[in-house]
Amino acid sequence: MLGFVLLGVLNGAVIAASRAINGRLAIDLGAFKASFWNHIVGFVFLTAVMLAIASMKFDVPSNAPVLAYMGGVFGALFVALNSYVLPRIGVTKTVLLVIGGQMITGVIIDVRNSKSVGSAVAQFVGVGLILLGVYVARTAKGK
Amino acid sequence: MKGRSADWILAVAGGALLAVMIHYNSVMAKHSSPVLASWLAHGIGTLGAFVLVVAGAKIFRPAPATEPKAKVPAWAYLGGIPGAFTVWLAAVTVNSKLGLSGTLALMLVGQVTFGILSDRFGFFGVPKRRFVLTDFYVVLAVLSGSAILIFFRS
Repeated sequence: MLGFVLLGVLNGAVIAASRAINGRLAIDLGAFKASFWNHIVGFVFLTAVMLAIASMKFDVPSNAPVLAYMGGVFGALFVALNSYVLPRIGVTKTVLLVIGGQMITGVIIDVRNSKSVGSAVAQFVGVGLILLGVYVARTAKGK
Repeated sequence: MKGRSADWILAVAGGALLAVMIHYNSVMAKHSSPVLASWLAHGIGTLGAFVLVVAGAKIFRPAPATEPKAKVPAWAYLGGIPGAFTVWLAAVTVNSKLGLSGTLALMLVGQVTFGILSDRFGFFGVPKRRFVLTDFYVVLAVLSGSAILIFFRS
């Protein structure tokens, strides 16, 4: 169990490292090119892994809704924004503000899809705490 | 938009884009597999980012570079590789006792921990900065709020 816990934390660190590296590239090349390199390198890497592992097939589903293909478009925009902001306000603040925007948008998506999202009180408190954190981050002086 | 005041808005907006991206990618993963969905997202993301590069050059028209550009370290191009790994790591922990909630919460902890260390020591050539008390309040508020949203989700 501890091994899985460490793996979960490691995954978060790997994500933050990926974003920091893209932020570093954006300092020299700009955020759009950083997003481009992130995606093409990730694409080539995943292609190689899928070719190497025989059980992984390039079966693009024929019945997926068009919107399911849009993830990459939002991802391209996300990496560009993140790479632009990260060298300017630091990794910690970038990571926290992104988490804040992500969690709150996640709640909105769930409500729109009218999924049962559990306790309304918990949602209210959770979103409130995140907004408070964003507010403190916003008013804190940049170091 | 000028100066640093816009940066926090852009970061929060980035988080919103990320949530939408994950939502659509999870729809694709349901119709295929997480790895195939990630592969498709990277492929389509490459096209999307290419459009951004071309459009960005047209719209912003950067001044022609007069000074020689600093040499970009080769590793700075490889951010996409750790990015691609997260799919597998997540698949392992989501299917363990941790489940989706535990995985999400631990990933947030890992991101923030790496962020604090990275800011302190300047990993990967990102500018160093000090961790101040207000940063601690932000960590506390955002992580506890996120934990409540994650664990009270039915």
